[in-house]
Amino acid sequence: MKRGHVYTFLFMVVITAVLVFALAAAYEGFKPSIQRNKQLQEQRAVLSALGLDEGLKDNQIAAVYEEKIKPGKLNGFEEAYGMPILAHIENGETLAYAVPIEGSGLWGALRGYLGVNADRTQTTGLVFTYQNETPGLGGRIDEDWFKNQFRGLPITPNTLMAYGSVEDKDIDAITGATQTSSAVMRTINKSLTEIVFSEEVK
Amino acid sequence: MANEKTSAIIKRNLFTENQVLRAILGICSSLAVTNTMRNSLVMGLGVAFVTGLSSLTLSAMRNIIPHRVRMLVQTLVIAAYVIFVDLFLQAFLPDISKHLGPYVGLIITNCIIMGRAEAYAQQNPPLPAALDGLFAGLGYTLVLLGVAFIREVLGFGTIFGMNINFIGFETWTIMIMPPAAFFIIGAMIWVMSARAANKAAKAK
Repeated sequence: MKRGHVYTFLFMVVITAVLVFALAAAYEGFKPSIQRNKQLQEQRAVLSALGLDEGLKDNQIAAVYEEKIKPGKLNGFEEAYGMPILAHIENGETLAYAVPIEGSGLWGALRGYLGVNADRTQTTGLVFTYQNETPGLGGRIDEDWFKNQFRGLPITPNTLMAYGSVEDKDIDAITGATQTSSAVMRTINKSLTEIVFSEEVK
Repeated sequence: MANEKTSAIIKRNLFTENQVLRAILGICSSLAVTNTMRNSLVMGLGVAFVTGLSSLTLSAMRNIIPHRVRMLVQTLVIAAYVIFVDLFLQAFLPDISKHLGPYVGLIITNCIIMGRAEAYAQQNPPLPAALDGLFAGLGYTLVLLGVAFIREVLGFGTIFGMNINFIGFETWTIMIMPPAAFFIIGAMIWVMSARAANKAAKAK
């Protein structure tokens, strides 16, 4: 059967409409779970940056988060890169801050949290909530061995963090992922100079 | 070809006409994701799922798709399934979704899917087409896992993330890097081509 332009045109319109409708329906259907998962991931990331997520099951995250995490003010900043700075508060005392970080990795943006203790002398942790790095190479910045290197590192104003020995610890870059590793350091140092130790009070 | 037996479809897609090793399709992702077995497995299953379903759908519609715009339709259907897979993973398997973030989009660009749609689903009924797509994807998975096994064992000293490096050998950094996949896939293609050439020579 020979078909004309009109058939072809109508066919494309109909099939596009059908597929768009089906995907929109699927998205609406999945939306509650997707949002719940996103919130859980975000809350776990904040707790992890503060070193509070160890051994927590998924269903305990929300309760712990509610109890210990409040909006915070660090060095005069209430937010960093458009995200609120969060404080770890227990018994009315602020113990640490989760500072949003943002930078560019090898392939795309890097976003996450850097945890620093209340008197700004040590990091409490590092976690990425968004990254597009090469899986198996730069993507390993999500692995525990890498992130755990950034717990309890000394920080001081006007000193940039770098790979190598820091006091008695070694911070290792990822083999084969030099660009991503440097990007992580750049991102941390940007946050340290622009937010944590920037004395410009807003 | 119209009434190909199921076992023939399976054997053809997994071995004799493996899409990666014989048709040299899907090479990009085979090079990129094969440094760990876990990533390879999930990527492979994602591709198998999408190839199977898109072949099924396109075959069911094969008589009403205008020939001139069939590639547009193929792309639309494939993209719709990939987006669906992405949403599904985000909703029900958030951990895997997080690890695969950048890959899921890569499924769309996998030439095997469109290759099967063009080469097979267009001329065959839905059920064989779905099987053909599914097993083409599984054949791809098989090659990925084979390559990833060699790379992960030598590069990280692990299998599926489990440490097997009992004798403590020095891991080979090059195995984690993309060039390693070139050598391994190249060697595999060589073996498969030599085998096919051998067979053809005997048949004469």
